[in-house]
Amino acid sequence: MRILLVEDEPTLRQQLRLSLQEAGYAVDEADNGIDAHFMGDTEPFDAVVLDLGLPRLDGLSVLKRWRSSGRTMPVLILTARDNWNEKVAGIDAGADDYLTKPFHTEELLARLRALIRRANGLASPVLSCGDLVLDTRSARVTWQGSPVTLTSHEYRVLEYLMHRPGSVVSRTEITEHIYAQDFDRDSNTIEVFIVRLRKKLPAALIETVRGQGYRLASGK
Amino acid sequence: MPQALLRWPWASLRVRLLLATLVGLAVALVLAGFLLQDLFQEHVRKQFQISLTRQLDQVTARFTLNPEAAPTVDARALSDPRWQLPYSGLYWQVDKVSPDGQYRSALLRSRSLWDSTLHLSHDTLADGAVHLHEANGPQDSKLLLLERTVQVAEQHGDIRWRLIVAADLQETRLATQNFRQVLGLSLLTLFVLLALATVAQLWIGLRPLREMQRGLKEVQNARLPNLQGQFPSEIQPLVNDFNRVLDQNRTVVERARTQAGNLAHALKTPLSVLDQAASRELNQHESDLADLVQEQVASARRHIDWHLARARVSATQRLPGQRTAVLQTVQGLVRVMERVHAGRDLTIDLQSAAVTAEVTWYFAGEEQDLQEMMGNLLDNACKWARHRVAISIISPSPSTTPLQWCCTITDDGPGIADTHLNAVTHRGVRFDEAVPGTGLGLAIVQELAELYGGRLELGRATSGGLEARLCLPAT
Repeated sequence: MRILLVEDEPTLRQQLRLSLQEAGYAVDEADNGIDAHFMGDTEPFDAVVLDLGLPRLDGLSVLKRWRSSGRTMPVLILTARDNWNEKVAGIDAGADDYLTKPFHTEELLARLRALIRRANGLASPVLSCGDLVLDTRSARVTWQGSPVTLTSHEYRVLEYLMHRPGSVVSRTEITEHIYAQDFDRDSNTIEVFIVRLRKKLPAALIETVRGQGYRLASGK
Repeated sequence: MPQALLRWPWASLRVRLLLATLVGLAVALVLAGFLLQDLFQEHVRKQFQISLTRQLDQVTARFTLNPEAAPTVDARALSDPRWQLPYSGLYWQVDKVSPDGQYRSALLRSRSLWDSTLHLSHDTLADGAVHLHEANGPQDSKLLLLERTVQVAEQHGDIRWRLIVAADLQETRLATQNFRQVLGLSLLTLFVLLALATVAQLWIGLRPLREMQRGLKEVQNARLPNLQGQFPSEIQPLVNDFNRVLDQNRTVVERARTQAGNLAHALKTPLSVLDQAASRELNQHESDLADLVQEQVASARRHIDWHLARARVSATQRLPGQRTAVLQTVQGLVRVMERVHAGRDLTIDLQSAAVTAEVTWYFAGEEQDLQEMMGNLLDNACKWARHRVAISIISPSPSTTPLQWCCTITDDGPGIADTHLNAVTHRGVRFDEAVPGTGLGLAIVQELAELYGGRLELGRATSGGLEARLCLPAT
């Protein structure tokens, strides 16, 4: 899952990036509204953490522009002013949730998980596909009840697939969602991750749809 | 209190002006009355005297000595019939004055004198001079007498004749009396008319003040932000100043609020950084310092929220002209809640008379404060609710004073144990650390409601959850 983190305070941004990365997300950063708008407009993000008080272009305007150009990714706004006006304005501009500073990291992660789930039409924080269970809260994967140890990239790939049960996902799409922009991307590495996942899990679980991509075999 | 009672009429500009004008008018009219009456009396008397002099001239012209040297007055030649009528009020008499100064009274008399005579003191008159006297006449009448001494040319010796004419003053008295009555009546009418004119003048003249009063009431009741309309040039500067003060007040409050907000904003980002750092530290290993930091950050945040809310209210509280559309504000908050809790099976049901009826009334206060109160209650209700939150807004009934509207928010969550209902509105009490939030929510609502003269009541809903009833002033 790929997150756009927009925060102008450098220390807080760095901390949040580390926390998000540790939680298994690919994180892109922006420290001003103009960059944030451009990135959100051109890259596919699974969620955005958007501070409202931004230099150059304020968060609300960024959000409105995204929404008016049809960008529907879930957006969580961060406000420092404990001010309902700002929350109402934020929600009316198209935000999906808000968090008032200061907040706990766990709170932010929980809200983000819920937003991403909601955006994919999933109700529970625990995703399952047959005997395969992925708990988004703890980033833990089990097969038939026994834990499966995954590297962070393997986890990201599997998590992305599990958020889209039954649909075919192309390699490019996976690449776009598991790597941040500044990463040296190579869609061939996805193949490597799939091979490794097939080794750790039943090989038939991830189907290859020729010419299109991968699909999680359902109903097993 | 008695002092106030003594003072009350003077407290009204209208009463003051009216009294001053009426007293002035009364004094002027009474003085004018006396003056006019005097002038009239003088005039009447002069006229009377002139006509009496003419009568004397007539008598003098008819006065002759017959061949026996006895004086005669040809009474028939005197035109006025009153000479003949007994006690008619017009008399003449001829006295003889001997050279030694001896008088012989009433040698000749008019028929009207009948059997009385005119008594006049001895008097030395130059030949032809006319003297004026007042004396009592027949039948206790007051007479004005004119005397003249004449000497007949062909008569020898130093004998002179005194001719007297007299007329009853009754006539002039009547005329004066009549005049006084008419004058009094006229002046009284004039007084009444002028008094009415004064009242009208005051009413018209003071109308701008009344309008200003009405405007101020509107401002007080928060229906208007400032005094509107054009006032006379004497009052307009006052109105302008007042409006300026109102504007300035608003600006100062706005600035204070912005600055308080800025301070909070400025503090919260560093607090977030601290909290994140502590949190990351704790993720790696146990740390007392990190624990302490997190605890203090939470405490600082509670303080900031608490004092920010308080500062805002105390700044806004008595500022006139504040009003907020309740329904609009609540709808905004409901949108927020619906979006934030979209992932849950949660229904927010807003019922309000204002949704259907075209009734316009407002919360008599600042929008932010209403949002703070309703937002906290809603946030709390949504956090705890299982499936449903119901909001019901009840319009103020016009009979209650002060005007109040109430809002009930119920959820179907676990509710709060009766023993804790009171404690929960106390500062910083937090019952379940697992539910995110500052724990100040209900306490802030309570504090804000009380500062606005309203109240927050917590109870158990029929569904088992919490029922919060918030009543606030309306306008």
